[in-house]
Amino acid sequence: MKHKKSITEKISRYLLIIIAFFAIFPVLWTFINSFKCLTDIITPVPKIFFNPTLQNYVEILKLSSLKNALLSSFIISTSSVILGFIIGIPFAYSIARFQFKARENLRFWVITLRMLPPVATIFAYIYLWINIGLLDTYISVIFTYLLITIPTIIWLSIEPFRNVPVEIEEAAMLEGVSYFQVFFKFALPIAWPTLIGGVLFAFILVWNEFFIALTLTSQRMTLPVAVGAYAVVGMQMDWGQLSASMILLSIPPFILAGLFRKSLSSYFIIKI
Amino acid sequence: MTKKKFLLTSIMPTIFILGALSVYPLIQVIYLSFIDRSLVQPGSGQFVGFLNYAKLFTDRRFWNALKITMYWELITVIGSMGLAILLAMLIYRNVGKLFKNILTLVFILPAVIPRVAAGYTWRFMYSPLLGLFNYFLSVLRLPNIEFLSNSNTALLSVALVDIWQWSLLLSVIILGLLESIPEEPIEAAQLDGATRFRLNLHITFPIIWSGLLSLVFLKIIESLRSFDLIYIMTKGGPGIATETIDLYAYSVGLAINGNISYGASMSFIMLVITIIIATFLWRFLRHET
Repeated sequence: MKHKKSITEKISRYLLIIIAFFAIFPVLWTFINSFKCLTDIITPVPKIFFNPTLQNYVEILKLSSLKNALLSSFIISTSSVILGFIIGIPFAYSIARFQFKARENLRFWVITLRMLPPVATIFAYIYLWINIGLLDTYISVIFTYLLITIPTIIWLSIEPFRNVPVEIEEAAMLEGVSYFQVFFKFALPIAWPTLIGGVLFAFILVWNEFFIALTLTSQRMTLPVAVGAYAVVGMQMDWGQLSASMILLSIPPFILAGLFRKSLSSYFIIKI
Repeated sequence: MTKKKFLLTSIMPTIFILGALSVYPLIQVIYLSFIDRSLVQPGSGQFVGFLNYAKLFTDRRFWNALKITMYWELITVIGSMGLAILLAMLIYRNVGKLFKNILTLVFILPAVIPRVAAGYTWRFMYSPLLGLFNYFLSVLRLPNIEFLSNSNTALLSVALVDIWQWSLLLSVIILGLLESIPEEPIEAAQLDGATRFRLNLHITFPIIWSGLLSLVFLKIIESLRSFDLIYIMTKGGPGIATETIDLYAYSVGLAINGNISYGASMSFIMLVITIIIATFLWRFLRHET
């Protein structure tokens, strides 16, 4: 019995190593290609040995369109996450802490908003931003993205606030500390280490977002839209530069997800 | 400061902003779908009643998009959930802690790649002349496959990218579900000499069943956001072989003719579909607990 089990364990282990290799391979391949010059990429037989060059990265960072897109992406993602945090966090705290009539319905409403497919709302938004003359500005994209960041941050912050020991808060209340002070001085600092994961996850979502940015921006286009623009231009694409820009685009989510992967899975488990 | 006051100040900003951001588009989309507004023709915008919906009903391209969306849902939901369950069972109780941590990291990374980057990466690998897949086919002396420009293979090829991103992530989540199962019933069954298969069928599976089902619902909803991947890889082509509802709505409502009212009528249908699925999900979860 015991012997048999160790064989299945061994087989699973080798199988998993192979699967892990295939899982990460497309990323590795793009990474490798980003250091190849074009002649090393356009070969009938894929090259594994080549002279690595930083040329692709140098070239794309010279492009003003890409530099602008990088800046736009940073401004838009950071602002919509910070605003989402300021607005959503107190809401999440109250949902976690207090019993009130509309609580469950409010939670359901917030979750459904996170699930709305962008195509369901995009025509309304484009119409709105055209009419008030804010189409293709940072403000319009940041506000539209609040629909992503606020629900995501709320969603991932309710559980951390529930885990703050209620005794600490009650003790503070007995000392005559107000609800506001309890929130700012106790709940928020205690929950912070687990809250940050949700906040950064919201950042990944808006950093990666493509559809809304594509429809709402042209001058102010974000990085995914700028990289996506190759699809329009390109019969003859420069795959080296494209690979380099894909890597550039993927670096922030990679770092954040690597650091905070625990909160990633809690996003998908719905706890009532 | 009273409790009531604190409660109101903490929840009102969210209600106000999310309310504006969600109720407004809902009303606007419904309104737009009942008029005849075009982005390229100034002065358009007469009330036309249900004309847009009537047009949808006889629009073959819309029915095609609906059909493609259903295929897309079926392939990606079944594919990614099935694969994820297999992967999670392969990892569960088979590997050490360090190996498991490395695996989960490796499995999560593809899921957080921006869809734009994932789409290009695979498009390059699928390429008929430069792609890896066709290189291996030629090494094996098999005929080349035009993965993305053949209407028989295009949808499946794009769906594979979605399955790649999602099955890996879902397997990590399902692993978390499996590991939350209490040890006792499993050990008891093992003492009784239950085989691994029976163990899974009768003990592990029923325990995580509701968790799995909620993941299925979530994946159904996430799969409705297929736009970015398909747009990057095929733009709905060849022809309309991979054109889902969001791609069709985008091209008719914005990209090509700017017929925003007609696009809005499709939006509204998507909205209704999503709300129905979300309500089911919510009811189901409340029923379970």
